[in-house]
Amino acid sequence: MSINLDFYSIFLKYLLNIVFIYLNNNHFEGFKLLLELKDITIPTEDGKCVIVNNISFGVKEGSIHAVIGPNGSGKSTLAYTIMGLQTFNPTQGKIYFDGIDITNMSLTQRAKLGMTLAWQEPARIDGLTVPDYIALGMKDKTNMKEKVREALEIVNLEPERYINRTIDESLSGGERKRVELAAAIAMRPRLIILDEPDSGLDMIVIEDFLNIFNKIKNLEMTILLITHREDIGMVADYGTLIWRGNHILTDEFPKVMLRYCAKAGLKEFCKRTLFTNDGKCFDEDYIDRIFREEGTL
Amino acid sequence: MTDSDYPEEILQSLEDYNIDMRDFLPGHGGGAKLLLDFNKIKGVEQIEGIILKGREIANGIVADVVIKEGSKIEEPVHLCFGVNKEKGIQEIFPRIIAEDNTDVKIQAHCSFPKANGLIHKMFGHFYIGKNCNFNYSETHYHGENSGALVAPVAYMYVGENSVFENNFNLTKGTPGKVKIMLDIYAMKNSVIRSNIRAFGKNKKDSVRIRDAIYLEGENARSVLKMRAAARDGGEVLMYGITEGNAPHCNGHVECSEIVLGKGSICRARPFIRATDPTSSVSHEASLGRFPQKWLDELMAKGLTEKEATEVLIEAMLREE
Ligand SMILES: Nc1ncnc2c1ncn2[C@@H]1O[C@H](COP(=O)(O)OP(=O)(O)OP(=O)(O)O)[C@@H](O)[C@H]1O
Ligand SMILES: [Mg+2]
Repeated sequence: MSINLDFYSIFLKYLLNIVFIYLNNNHFEGFKLLLELKDITIPTEDGKCVIVNNISFGVKEGSIHAVIGPNGSGKSTLAYTIMGLQTFNPTQGKIYFDGIDITNMSLTQRAKLGMTLAWQEPARIDGLTVPDYIALGMKDKTNMKEKVREALEIVNLEPERYINRTIDESLSGGERKRVELAAAIAMRPRLIILDEPDSGLDMIVIEDFLNIFNKIKNLEMTILLITHREDIGMVADYGTLIWRGNHILTDEFPKVMLRYCAKAGLKEFCKRTLFTNDGKCFDEDYIDRIFREEGTL
Repeated sequence: MTDSDYPEEILQSLEDYNIDMRDFLPGHGGGAKLLLDFNKIKGVEQIEGIILKGREIANGIVADVVIKEGSKIEEPVHLCFGVNKEKGIQEIFPRIIAEDNTDVKIQAHCSFPKANGLIHKMFGHFYIGKNCNFNYSETHYHGENSGALVAPVAYMYVGENSVFENNFNLTKGTPGKVKIMLDIYAMKNSVIRSNIRAFGKNKKDSVRIRDAIYLEGENARSVLKMRAAARDGGEVLMYGITEGNAPHCNGHVECSEIVLGKGSICRARPFIRATDPTSSVSHEASLGRFPQKWLDELMAKGLTEKEATEVLIEAMLREE
């Protein structure tokens, strides 16, 4: 009898917990995290300064998660560290991918687990053809040609025009970035880290990119999106704000963006562009409160 | 002639280059062709617009190719110089003349799949007339044993308004000891593109290539690209020479080499000289390993560093 009581009390606690989480509107409990950073600190290559200081946050499986912050705040550093580039070694903390501790894994091992990174400025390599490049990360190379075409179509590049090209200087900046995305998509990873996929692109192209993100999302890939632009960020479900190497906030994207504007003192900009569409608006009082908290009202 | 007259080993040997030499047997495929098996001529096929003649001499042949004035030759001309032996000497004296206003592509296949101390020498003369479009590619395969001793020398004269593209590929198999010397003379308004690619793979491999372009005519232009990789003790030395000796001529030399593994040596020497004040000649050279960022990008797709390097070498040495 006493065993049963114990069971009920635990079950009750569990239920209460769920209600508690729901009431707190905390989106990061009770969902599966694909990527999790715990107390990550990243020094400069020479070890003399700290670029990223004790950062923790999680990325939900299936979401688009934006990382925003001003120039030099440590976004790229974070991306490289998550991916495991040689010169980016945290002095403290752990990184988990799908529950597995990947902190000490090599770049190749991490990629094999199902994550990849699309660089802000992808390299130009003479002699490497677009199809060969896109096929590099495919786990199953049967029907390769067909898969390459598919990947090119997802990023809105006409396959016929690109299958005979190489990823050298002859591709335009935008084309090269799309090929990079296509190559990442062709891997069918579970997590794609995109470092400023929007840099150097014009507005019309941006529209196109938003489209591409949605296609990627439909392929059940999680996107960690590093960006400067609020319009690009708006596709994100969640966001993380980084300020001078410190973690400020991880929450629904509009809230994170609002906090960013408040920290930067961009009230007009914030009212004009940010929260007037999509029903994701905040009322004036709320906005004022956040700005007051940051001392920028 | 039946197929079996020509050694099967040679016919298959260029598969890694995506070349099927069976297509070049007389009676197969189109185009003019000349087949040599060691020192014996095994077949000659001429087509309209071309004179193609071979004459056997003590250790090899004299091969004469003439593209008659005004001929536009659709199918490539194939010159197959095969040796299916370990040792011996093969000497080739090609004399190639492209008369004015011609258009032709010549592909030379030098394949020595069993080479182990074999000697192959070439002494070539190329004369390309005015307004020609002349494309010459030479593909070498020296087997997997210890390679061959290969020493080709060629003089190439490129006439007014002609475009000459030269390709030399020695990227599959083990080269052995290779010493190549090319001198290209470019006349008025001519355009030269010369691409040299070589890969030394072990201690027995020593490849030295000297490609010199002399811009002798006004407004002649050239781009010389030399690409090489050396690994596991292989040695590749490249000298890319361009001289600007005429008004407004313009030349560029590019040498890139990758060194992998202990004891491997790559040396790239662009050598440029301008004797005319209105000419311009430039060079670019890079030596060493691939940029880390390139490797990282490929590794982020799940490749190991070794696999990434292989992909990059393959790309670097790929024919454009
Ligand atoms: N060796 C070093 N010494 C001092 N500071 C360094 C060193 N290496 C990097 N940093 C700094 O680390 C910071 C983080 O750079 P990072 O590229 O991660 O920023 P970011 O957020 O991606 O910026 P951006 O938006 O411009 O791309 C920068 O301020 C940079 O100057
Ligand atoms: Mg950055």
